[in-house]
Amino acid sequence: MNDQVKISIRNLYKIFGDTPQAALADVRAGMGKPELLEKRNHVLGLSDINVEIRTGRITVIMGLSGSGKSTLIRHLNRLIEPTAGEVLVDGENILTWDETRLRRLRRETMSMVFQKFALLPHRTVLENAGMALATRGISRKEFEADANRWLDRVGLEGYGGHYPHQLSGGMQQRVGIARALTSNSGIMLMDEAFSALDPLIRTDMQDLLIELQAELHKTIVFITHDLDEALKLADHLVILKDGAVIQQGEPQQILLEPADPYIEDFVSDINRARVLRARSIMEEGPAEGEISGEIDHNDNLESVIAMAEGALDRRYRVMRDGEAVGSLEMPAIMRALVPRQASRKTARN
Amino acid sequence: MAIYDSVFDSLGLREWCDGGGSGEGPMSMAELLARSRGESGGGTGGASLWDLPFPSLDALHDACGVIPESRDLTLGLERGFLSMRDALRVVIDPVTQPLSWMLRESLAVMTNTPWWIMIPLLLAVTWLVSKSWRVVVFVAISLALLAFVDHYNAAMQTLAIIFVCAFICVLFGVPIGIAMSRSDRLQRIVIPILDMLQTLPPFVYLIPLIFLFSVTEPKLYGIAIILYAIVPVIRLTDLGIRLVDKDVIEAADAFGMTNRQKLFGVQIPLALPNIMAGVNQTIMMSLAMVVIASLVSAPGLGVLVLRGIRSLELGVGLVAGFGIVLLAIMLDRVTKASLARIDASQARR
Ligand SMILES: Nc1ncnc2c1ncn2[C@@H]1O[C@H](COP(=O)(O)OP(=O)(O)OP(=O)(O)O)[C@@H](O)[C@H]1O
Ligand SMILES: [Mg+2]
Repeated sequence: MNDQVKISIRNLYKIFGDTPQAALADVRAGMGKPELLEKRNHVLGLSDINVEIRTGRITVIMGLSGSGKSTLIRHLNRLIEPTAGEVLVDGENILTWDETRLRRLRRETMSMVFQKFALLPHRTVLENAGMALATRGISRKEFEADANRWLDRVGLEGYGGHYPHQLSGGMQQRVGIARALTSNSGIMLMDEAFSALDPLIRTDMQDLLIELQAELHKTIVFITHDLDEALKLADHLVILKDGAVIQQGEPQQILLEPADPYIEDFVSDINRARVLRARSIMEEGPAEGEISGEIDHNDNLESVIAMAEGALDRRYRVMRDGEAVGSLEMPAIMRALVPRQASRKTARN
Repeated sequence: MAIYDSVFDSLGLREWCDGGGSGEGPMSMAELLARSRGESGGGTGGASLWDLPFPSLDALHDACGVIPESRDLTLGLERGFLSMRDALRVVIDPVTQPLSWMLRESLAVMTNTPWWIMIPLLLAVTWLVSKSWRVVVFVAISLALLAFVDHYNAAMQTLAIIFVCAFICVLFGVPIGIAMSRSDRLQRIVIPILDMLQTLPPFVYLIPLIFLFSVTEPKLYGIAIILYAIVPVIRLTDLGIRLVDKDVIEAADAFGMTNRQKLFGVQIPLALPNIMAGVNQTIMMSLAMVVIASLVSAPGLGVLVLRGIRSLELGVGLVAGFGIVLLAIMLDRVTKASLARIDASQARR
């Protein structure tokens, strides 16, 4: 993985209404979403968004319903025009592009997976998978092999001749993913791609995505309102509220240091032992003193606790690629398991 | 007597009224009658309030000669129409000439082809469109029945007219519907026109057509039928395209489809069930109108119905009416069967 910025969103504003430019001035002067709606009858969709999306990473955008997630992701391929700001793809501002270039961007550089699948109901699974290529003018004969390969890859071998309505929701979304993969674009936009699926299928699909990503290293922008899903997939986590980014960074970091009561609420229900990893809470530097064993830097706390069999006096050396990078004591683990908000509450009582 | 005389007198308009010169002009029959009645009625000097007529054009004309009679209004319309007629004909005649030609040809072909070619041909078309043996058998029996009671020729004439008119309705209606679905402004303009066409009793818009064309021209009834029957196919095309799933359209946009690709690859195929429902309605309405159009010399079963009414030949009218019902059921079953076929291939969700 490299660390290049693929898409960069700068000072992006989106206001829905009749005179967004006039309302923009108010928003810049500090008017919030409820006030804007009440006084000016405009909806603040996005407010001063700055996000860098890195090549080969999964960037997860999370927020509650109505926080502007779908609005944000639709700016990346200009399905929605911003009120102000810039969207740079590979360093170029796509907002200045004409229709032809924009179309090429949508056809070749980005692909999208939708919450409600949005397959073409009158086309077969194979034709749906090849939709991006067919749109570019490639004949069925030529895209058939590609489309079939990706259908096989997402676990749909033999279903090419079926119609979408003959498949279950999970299978339909596999077609949606195959469609995005067949387009062979470097960027995949996924708007709540798994939200319409039941929990078990959803876990399957998350695993499939992780597996594919380990192999393909796409630049993925993934939207969800589910923290578990976000923590499972994210390399970089962006949290939206009322159209503004309230915190972004490494998921572990956000979990340990929520910047806002809203996020504290969000993270308070999570199984922290399973999500937090040794690397996030270890003490860096060589481990001195007595060592009870070695753990990997990516081990989660649950496995460390299991290893210690509940004993509190253990101390582990944290290893990365065979090298010692730090140490971890059990009390540190215990502290990390208590969410910050809860600790504040007990302190107050 | 002219009750409103006093009104004009008191307003001081007497001179203006007489300036029109009605006083000296030759009296109309009505005036004469009124005058004699007024004199014989004697004494009262005017009718009681009970008899007060509405201040209509005619009543006011009696009191004040400058004001025109109602008949002048209709006469004016007639003259206006007649003076425009030639100018209109210069434009409309050549444009609609192909319609006359198509109707004549179609009538000639359908009636001159021997029945033992025509009936199998119609059955073959039925099979192609409906792919249902039951419908084919039903059509075969119905046609045989009509032919058996010597209504074959009239039925073929009616069918010939319907085929031509429905074809032209689809030819123009579908593109108009598509254009409407893409422009809200056009929709706002066209919908009142469609409403008018649909609510006007069919007889009424025969009137301007009779002025424009001579009754011997087939296009006279052709235009009447088309105007009446084109409405549903336009409406349902517009509706069908507007009802196409927004998510699917968004997916088409996200994968960079051009407007053309979207129209032919997504919107029309997905709107097809609705468009076909419109075609079915259009065909049924053509049939209704072709019967009425026998008033202006459209040949076919309608003529026999008309004969039944005019010369009180009850049997002729009833048998022809029954023939029309059979035709209606045939046309409906065939188009419904093809509609069901399209629906089945698209059954989704
Ligand atoms: N076309 C529009 N016109 C007016 N307001 C809009 C429009 N689209 C979105 N909004 C508003 O913008 C805000 C953000 O909507 P958005 O769809 O991005 O939310 P979301 O985070 O995707 O929510 P969900 O989880 O429900 O999908 C909402 O308040 C919504 O009402
Ligand atoms: Mg959304």
